[in-house]
Amino acid sequence: MVMKKRKLFQLIWLFLFIPLACEDFLEKPPQGELTQANFPLTAGDALLATNAVYNTMRESNFNSGLFPLHDIMSDDANKGSNPDDAAASIGPFDQFEHVKTEPAILRWWNTLYKAVRRANVVIERVPLIAMDETLRNRYIGEAKFLRAFFYFDLVRAWGGVPMLVDIEPKILPRSTQDEIYDLIEEDLLFAITALPEKSQYGSADLGRASKGAAKALLAKVYLFRGNFADAATYSLEVINSGVYNLEPDFDNANSVLGEQGVESVFEVASFGEEGLDNGGNQYGNVQGVRGTPNRGWGFNRPTLSLRNSFEPGDPRLESTVIFLGEVLDGVIIAGDGITPDASIDSHGQAEIECYNQKVWTPGTNVPPSFGHNRRFIRFSDVLLIAAEALNENNNSAQALVHLNRVRQRAREGNNAILADIATTDKDQLRDIILQERRVELAMEGHRFWDLVRTNKATSVLGPLGFISGTHELLPIPQTEIDLSQGALAQNPGWEN
Amino acid sequence: MIKKLLLLVFLSLPSLLVAQNRTVSGKVTGADDNLGIPGASVLVQGTTKGVATDADGNFSLELQAGETVLIISSIGYKTQTVALGERTSIDVVLESDAVSLQEVVVIGYGTVRKSDLTGSVSSIRGKELNTVPSINPMQSLQGKIAGVQVASSSGAPGAGTYVRIRGIGTFNDSSPIYVVDGVILQNIDYLNSADIESMEVLKDASATAIYGARGANGVIIVTTKKGATSGNNFPTINLTVDYSVQQLAKKIDLLNGREYAIVRNKINPGTFNNIDALPNTDWQDEIFRTAPIQNYQVSIAGGSEKFQYYTSFGYFKQDGIISKSEYERVSLKFNNILHLSKDVRLGSNLSFTPFTQQNTNGNSVFVVYRAWPTITPFQSDGSYSEVPGVGNVLADIDNTNSFNSGLRSVNNIYAEVDFLKGFTFKTSFGADIEYGKSRSYTPIFFVSPQQQNATDDLGKGYSDRIDWLWENTVNYQKEMGVHRVNAVVGYTLQESSSENVFLGAQNLLRPGEDFWYVNIFPNLVSPNFATNSVGSNFSMISYLARANYTYNDRYLFTATFRRDGSSKFTESNRYANFPSFAVGWNAINESFMQNNKTFSNLKVRASWGTIGNEKINYQRQYSLVQNGINALFGQDVLYSGATYGVSGNPNLKWETTEQIDIGIEAGFLNDRLTAELDYYHRTTSDILIDLPVPGYYGNGDGAVITFNAGEVLNKGFELNLGWNSEVGELKYRVGLVGTTIHNEVLKVSGTGESDEELVGLFNGRQVSRTVPGLPIGSFFGYNVLGVFQNASELSAYPHLSNTEVGDLKFEDVNNDGILNSEDRTNLGSPIPTYLFGLNLNLSYKNFDFTSDFQGQGGNKIFNGKEIIRPDPYNFESRYLNFWNGDGTSNSEPRPSNGGVNYEPSSRYIYDGSFIRLRNISLGYTLPQALVDKGGMKSVRAYVRITNLFTISDFTGYTPEIVSGNPVLNAIDVATYPVPRIFSVGLNMTF
Repeated sequence: MVMKKRKLFQLIWLFLFIPLACEDFLEKPPQGELTQANFPLTAGDALLATNAVYNTMRESNFNSGLFPLHDIMSDDANKGSNPDDAAASIGPFDQFEHVKTEPAILRWWNTLYKAVRRANVVIERVPLIAMDETLRNRYIGEAKFLRAFFYFDLVRAWGGVPMLVDIEPKILPRSTQDEIYDLIEEDLLFAITALPEKSQYGSADLGRASKGAAKALLAKVYLFRGNFADAATYSLEVINSGVYNLEPDFDNANSVLGEQGVESVFEVASFGEEGLDNGGNQYGNVQGVRGTPNRGWGFNRPTLSLRNSFEPGDPRLESTVIFLGEVLDGVIIAGDGITPDASIDSHGQAEIECYNQKVWTPGTNVPPSFGHNRRFIRFSDVLLIAAEALNENNNSAQALVHLNRVRQRAREGNNAILADIATTDKDQLRDIILQERRVELAMEGHRFWDLVRTNKATSVLGPLGFISGTHELLPIPQTEIDLSQGALAQNPGWEN
Repeated sequence: MIKKLLLLVFLSLPSLLVAQNRTVSGKVTGADDNLGIPGASVLVQGTTKGVATDADGNFSLELQAGETVLIISSIGYKTQTVALGERTSIDVVLESDAVSLQEVVVIGYGTVRKSDLTGSVSSIRGKELNTVPSINPMQSLQGKIAGVQVASSSGAPGAGTYVRIRGIGTFNDSSPIYVVDGVILQNIDYLNSADIESMEVLKDASATAIYGARGANGVIIVTTKKGATSGNNFPTINLTVDYSVQQLAKKIDLLNGREYAIVRNKINPGTFNNIDALPNTDWQDEIFRTAPIQNYQVSIAGGSEKFQYYTSFGYFKQDGIISKSEYERVSLKFNNILHLSKDVRLGSNLSFTPFTQQNTNGNSVFVVYRAWPTITPFQSDGSYSEVPGVGNVLADIDNTNSFNSGLRSVNNIYAEVDFLKGFTFKTSFGADIEYGKSRSYTPIFFVSPQQQNATDDLGKGYSDRIDWLWENTVNYQKEMGVHRVNAVVGYTLQESSSENVFLGAQNLLRPGEDFWYVNIFPNLVSPNFATNSVGSNFSMISYLARANYTYNDRYLFTATFRRDGSSKFTESNRYANFPSFAVGWNAINESFMQNNKTFSNLKVRASWGTIGNEKINYQRQYSLVQNGINALFGQDVLYSGATYGVSGNPNLKWETTEQIDIGIEAGFLNDRLTAELDYYHRTTSDILIDLPVPGYYGNGDGAVITFNAGEVLNKGFELNLGWNSEVGELKYRVGLVGTTIHNEVLKVSGTGESDEELVGLFNGRQVSRTVPGLPIGSFFGYNVLGVFQNASELSAYPHLSNTEVGDLKFEDVNNDGILNSEDRTNLGSPIPTYLFGLNLNLSYKNFDFTSDFQGQGGNKIFNGKEIIRPDPYNFESRYLNFWNGDGTSNSEPRPSNGGVNYEPSSRYIYDGSFIRLRNISLGYTLPQALVDKGGMKSVRAYVRITNLFTISDFTGYTPEIVSGNPVLNAIDVATYPVPRIFSVGLNMTF
C-alpha cells in the first residue's frame, strides 16, 4: 500500500514537471505561407514577384474603380446602362457632381497604390538576388515601367500625390506634381535601357513591358508636361524602331484578333472567364452589351456628340459604336428591355441605347466579355503623339506624315473619305490632331485628359458641368485625408 | 472502533424490536420541477439517525417509538421539519432556497462555498435554461443575469448569439469563453440545453483571473448533468417533446406600389403613369412563412457508489421563416464517473453532435427591403420578373443551394486522485473536434442581365479543427478550527489547429444534387479553384495558482495568479502574468449581527485583478506573401505570381484588462427579499485592432493592419433583486436584474502617428468614430436641423454644395459659416447604457406560470439599409410625407436617389431602447396520484410564447442589433429576422 502510494506520488510529480520540457511548443510559424522577410529570394521568386505587378492591371478597381470614369466625364460618353443603374454612384461623374466621398475614387486610388507597392517589391528586393544579371535587370525594368505607368494615372487623376517608393508602409505627405513626374521620367529612362524590344520577347511573353512601350509612355509623359522636343524624340524612336505598325483593319486595333498584335505597344492580356484568379478582366464586362445578347452591364455609352464628331463616312464610327439591330460576329444586338431605346440625356442631347464596340468580344454570354485585352498604348496613339509634338516644334510638314498615316489606315482604301490633311498652319493643325485623337482613340480613356492638357476642358466640358480649377483633378478620397491625420491636403476646389 | 460496533448493534436493534418500530417511506420532490431530489437528507429530529434519498427522491426509514419528527434538507432547498403523526408514508415538497441555492459555486478549477466566495459569480440552473427553443443555451439567459447581455441579431436557423459581459471591453471579439466540464471553448452552440446542470457566469477579476489571457471578457462555466451515486434501483428516464411554430414577429412598414410610384415620380417625373393601376407586391409576404421547430430529448441517468452515468439523446430541427433555411442537429451525451476506489476516480464527458444546415440566400432580406413594390414577382408566362437594381428575390432563393454539415465532438477524460490529507490531483485531457463540409451550387439561370448565371458553379469546402487542452492541477482543502483553506496550483497546455480545403467547379454534367462533385476533368475550373488554408494554428502554456482563505466564517481572502505564454506573439511579447486579489467580509456572522431582525444575510466583498485577451488571428504578427497572383502574357498564357500581402505587426502583445469590483449581498425578512449590488470598473489597455491604413501604404482596397491600439473603460452597477412569497396557495417570485454600463474610450493610438480616431466605414463612408471620451463605435455624421423650406432659408444657412431647397438642413456645428466635414458630430452610442430583466414566476396548485421581460436603453441604431442606394429602391413609409413645397415638411426631405440627404446624419439614427416579453409560459403538472397510476414519476405539459412583443421606436425587424465588430456596431443591414415562437411541450419522467 505504501509502495503504491509512492508510485502515485512519483507519477503526480512527473506530470507537474512536463511543461518545463516543452518550450518549442510555442513556436508556430505560418503554415503554407511565406513571410515577406523570406521573399523574393530566388530567381524563381523574382519572376513571381514581377508577374504579380501585372496582375493588378486586371483588377476591376484598376479601371478607375470599376467604371471608366474619365470617358463618362468626357464629352464622348454617358454613364450608360439603364437610367437607374448606379445612378447615385456613377451618375454624378457624368455631370461633374461627384463628391470627395465617392467610393469609386477611393477604390481606384487604393488599387493604384497596391500596384505601386507590388512594383516596389521588385525594385527593392530583386537587386539583392544572385541571378542572371540581364534577366534581373529586365525584371527591375518591367517593374519600373509599371510603376511609372501607375504613377502616370495617379498624377493625372489627382496631381501631386504621396510618393511611395519603397516597401515600408508609412504616413506620407503629398509630393508635388513635378516630383511625381520626375520619378516617372527616371523610372522610364531606366526601363528603356533595361528592357528588350517587344520583338525580342518570345511569343508567350508578349505583353511584358518593352523598350518600345517605355519610350512610347515617356513620349506621352513629355507631351503632358509640354516638353514637345523630348516627346517627339521618343515617339519617333518608337515609330522608327520598325517593331510596330498599324493593323490593316482598324477593328483589330482593339479586337481579339489584334491581341498582342503589331499595333499593340502595351496592353493587358485577359482570359474570357469571370474572376481575376481565372484570368478575367471586368473592364469589357462593365461596358458590354446589356440585355440581349447578355454581354455585360452596358456602362460608358457613346454620346451623340461623339457620334457626330466623326467625318462623314468615317468607318471608325461603325467600329466604335454598337447600334441596336446591328449584327456583330453573327450576333444580333437587341439590347436591354428596361433601357429606353432613345431618350434625352442630362445635357439635353439625344441619347440612344448603344454600346462601346471597342471592348466587344465575340460571344453570346458573359464570360468571354472578361477576355477583352485593354489596350493602354496603341501605335496610332504614338503616331499622333509624334504628330502633335512635331507640330508644336514647328515641324508641321513632318507632323502631317504621321497624322495622315493614321487617317490612311482609317479610310480602308476608300479614297472618297478621310482625305489627307494638308494644312501646315500650326494652330489649325493642333485642333485637327486633337480631333483625330478623339475619333481614333474614342472610348479608350484618352479624351478627358487630352482636353485638360490642351486647356480645352473648360470650353468643351463646361456645358456638361466642368468647373475650371476644380474638375481637372479628382478629389483626394476623404477617407485618405481622415486616415492620414493632417498629412494630406485636399485638391483645390474640393476642400468643402 | 467501539463506537462503530455500538452503532451496528444499535442499527440492528430495530429488527429485533418489531412491535415498537414502524417504517416510514416517502418521496422528496422539488417545488420548482416536481422532480425527485436525489441525495436529500432525511434526519430524525434529535438524533444522528437518517438516510439519504435515492436517485428519484425516495426514502425509507425505520423509526422507533417516539421518533415522530423528520428534518428534510438538501442543498439549494429550504429545510423542512415534518411532524409524522401516525403516518407511515409522506411526500415532502421542498421549496428552493434563493440564497442557499448557490451554496456551492463552481469556479475555475474548483468549487467554493457561496458564503466564501470573494468574486462576482452568477449561477443559473434547472429549467431556467430551457425557456427558449434554440440551439444555443445562452438564448435562455436573456434578461436573467445582471451584467450579461445576450443578443441574437439574426433569426436564421443555426445563427449564433452575441454574449457581452459588463459592457464591451475591446474593439475585438468581446465574447466570453465557455468552460464546459473543464474544456475551454469559443462557443457552446453544440450543447443541448437539457444536458446542462448549471451555468456560472464569472464576471470580476477575482473569478476570471484563473483563466488569465482568455478571461478578460468573462467566463461562463457550464457543468453538465451526472447520474446520482445513490440510485441503486431503476434509472431515471426523462422525456421531453417540444414543438414550436415560428412566424415573422414584425413587418417593416415600406411603401406600397402606389405610394412608391408617387415618390418615384417626384424624383423622376413620368416614371410611372397611371399610378392607380400599378401592381402592388408586398415582397415581405412573398418570402416569409411560418415554420416549425421540433425539439425532442431523452435522457437516462443513474448510478451507484461505484459508477455514475448520464446518457442523453436530443434531436433539434428548425425550419427557417424564409424557405431553404434549416438547421438539424442530433446531440448525444455520455457522462460517466467510475469510482476505482475511495480515492481514485476516472471520468469522461463525451458529446457527439452531428448537424446539417441549409442557408438561404443571405441577402434576401435586404433585397426584399429594397425591391420595387410595383413589380409582380412573376411574369404572365410564369417566369421571374426582373426587379430593377436588386433582382428578383424569389429567383435568388430558388437558385441558392447552400448547405453545411458537420460533426462536433467535445470531450474530456480525467482522473482524480485524493492523496495525503486534503489534496486532490487531477489530470484532464479535453478535445474540441469539429469536421465540417459545405456545398453550394448555383445553376445556370437568367432573369435579367444583372441577375443571371451563365455557367453553373459548384463550391465544396472541407474543414477540420482540433483544439485540445491538457490540464494538471493539485487542489488542497483544509479546515482547522476557524481556519479554512482552499487552494489550487497547476499548469495547462493547449493547442489549436484547423485546416480548410475548398474546391470549385463549373460545367457540371447535370444540375442535380447527384452531380455536385468536383472532377479534375472536365469541370475543375482552374488550379486556383482548389485552395487549402490553415484556419488556426496556435498554442499556449499556462501556469495557475489560487488560494482562498476564510477566517471564522467572516473574513475571506483570495489570491490568484496565472502566467500565460502564447504562440500568437513574437518571443519578446510571448508571456504575460495575470494576478488578482480579493477580500470579503461576512458581516452577518459577526456576533453583533446575531440579534438583528432586519438582515438574514449581509456580505461585502472587493476584488482587483488583471486579465488578458488574445483573441486575434494567429497570423497577425506576420507580414505574409500572397500567392496565386496570376498574370497572363502572349495568347492568354497563365503565369503564377506572388507578392507582398497585407503587412503584419511583429510588435503585437496581449490586451490587458484591469478590473475592480465591489459587491454587497444582503437578505432581508428571512431571505424573502434578497439583493446583490456590484460596482465594476474595467479598464482594457493595449487593445488589439485591425485599423484601416492609408491606401498609399499599398496594401490594397480595404486593407487593415493590427495594432495594440487603445484603451477602454467600462464601469457601472449591477443589481439583482428577488422577492419570494406566497399568498395562500399562490406562490410567487419576482426577480429584477439591472445593469448600467458606462463605456468610454480612453485612448486610441492607431498607427502610432498621432492617430486619435478609429474610423468606422460603412458603404464607403464614415458612420462611426472611436475616439477618447466617447463609447466605442459612436455614431458620427451631420446633425439634421430640419429641411430647407425655401431659397432664402437655403442661402441664409451654410450647406453642403449640391444642396437644394427641400434637402436636409445640417447643423453648422462649429459655427464657422461653412458646412463641411468638420461639422460632423457625435450622434450617439451603439452600446446600451442600461440593461434590465424582470422575471415573474407564479405557481398555484398544479399550475405554473412564468413571464420574462427583457430590455435595454440609452443606445442608438444606425439604419444602414436606408442609405445604401446605388440605385433607386423602395423606401420606408416615412418617405411618403416628403417635403413638397414651403411648409410641407420639416422632417422629410424632398425625395432623391442620392445626394446630400443620404450623407450619414441623425436622420438615420434611431433610439435603440426596447422592452420585450421574451418568454411567457404556462405549465400544468398532472396530479401525482394520476401519474403514479400511469407508472410515471411526473408529467408536465406547457405552452410557451417566445418574443411575443417588443416595444421599440426602431422601424427594423429587431432593435437587438449587435455586431461582432464593436467599431461598426448596431448598424442594421436587414438581417434574417428573429421570429416569434409558439410552443407546446410535454415533459415526462419515468
